[in-house]
Amino acid sequence: MRTAATRPLARPTAALLPTVLSLALVAAVWEAWIALAGTPVYLLPAPSAVALRVGAEPGYFLGQGAITLAEALGGFLLGTGVALAAATLMAHSLALERALLPLAVLVKVTPIVAVAPLFVIWFGFGVLPKVLIAALITFFPALVNGVTGLRAVDPGALDFLRSVSASRREVFLTLRVPSAMPYLFAAFRVSIPLSVIGAVVGEWFSADRGLGAVIIVAHANLDTPTLFGAIFTLAVMGIGLSLAVSALERRILFWHESTLIV
Amino acid sequence: MLRGITAEVRPGEFLSILGPSGCGKTTLLRIVGGLSEPTAGTVRIGGRSSAEAQRHKLVGYVFQEPSLLPWRSVLDNVRLPLLVNRAARRPGAPAPAELLHLVRLAEFAGYYPGQLSRGMQQRVALARALALDPELLLMDEPFASLDEITREQMRFELLRIWDAARKTVLFVTHSIADAVLLSDRVAVLSARPGRLRALLPIELERPRVAGVERSPEFTGAYRRVHDLVMAEAA
Repeated sequence: MRTAATRPLARPTAALLPTVLSLALVAAVWEAWIALAGTPVYLLPAPSAVALRVGAEPGYFLGQGAITLAEALGGFLLGTGVALAAATLMAHSLALERALLPLAVLVKVTPIVAVAPLFVIWFGFGVLPKVLIAALITFFPALVNGVTGLRAVDPGALDFLRSVSASRREVFLTLRVPSAMPYLFAAFRVSIPLSVIGAVVGEWFSADRGLGAVIIVAHANLDTPTLFGAIFTLAVMGIGLSLAVSALERRILFWHESTLIV
Repeated sequence: MLRGITAEVRPGEFLSILGPSGCGKTTLLRIVGGLSEPTAGTVRIGGRSSAEAQRHKLVGYVFQEPSLLPWRSVLDNVRLPLLVNRAARRPGAPAPAELLHLVRLAEFAGYYPGQLSRGMQQRVALARALALDPELLLMDEPFASLDEITREQMRFELLRIWDAARKTVLFVTHSIADAVLLSDRVAVLSARPGRLRALLPIELERPRVAGVERSPEFTGAYRRVHDLVMAEAA
């Protein structure tokens, strides 16, 4: 929804120009460096070599990317869903928060690469351990920001709802959930790229499919153009997911200050 | 914090509660509105306790801050009390659109609070408080966060709306001018513990319109209230 409170951006093409120029410059310098220094391709392929590799088999990178993307999104939805349910409970009870938060912190401080092999032992070689690892890594930001956001309500608005005898449920739905949205989107901006990391880490340990597996195989073969192709695909995926979150945020948080500066 | 306050507000009356900062004016209003529990004493609103009156939607509340929900349009903010606890909805309550008309914001129904000025937001809050057609309107320094010019306009705006809506009003303020201009009677509280020092009738003719604050009657009433408040604050 566009309202007068949201500042329209400059024409999108004009806004994209600096980004496109800086990327083109990096690629040009990189290409020139490889040509002048004669760096062997197994150390660092030229951008043109990577582009040729991806261009020769775009379906391969897209297909493997789709697998990783599905695992990342599945993990994101699962981790965020569990986190929001826990945040709802914790926001209503200090005792529950004290009981559950240390567990959540424990999950957060444990390096994800340390538990990934364990997940393979427990959940096998299929999609499940990747989704669970992605869920684990996205859980904490949504939980912490969810609890904070559900509590960060305007005390005046809370007083008003109480003055008209609103039930706890009505206060939760009409005030707490919308108040939490800015906090949740701050969490999603962090956790959406994390979900891709989770999926790739999961694939490193036990996969024959997905971009993580592509990277492992390409690495073993010193096939750096494929390796870079996979990295490039992951980067595009990360950018796309972040843009999607931003677009959703602008739509849902049209009323919030944060959407005025994007 | 409060001690020995016994007073009766008459139906349809505009009663101001005036006192220095920290004397418990807001606490008194919150107790009447059922938002805070008194340690002792009782409040009766049309024969009911505060909590019952709250459940029966007999009380409308306007706070110092507008506290509108920024993600709901102006009209949806006024509608909000009707969505809550539907069972207690009162028949014959005015439609939210009519209330917006009453506070002269009909053409802003689709706007969001962030797009309105402070004074307009406070008028939306007033319309929202009237949505359940309460018997009693509690106003807790509703003009305190407004600039002087808006404040002056809002006083007459409130008088006009009060005249049209015919509610009993309890109006907490630390502005002597607010109290004198608006009220039928002014209750003066002393500081810590807040005690009721005087209940002064304000005999200014109604309707009171712009310019009344320059009349000798206003000046005389202002001086009487002023001297009493200052004697308490000293």
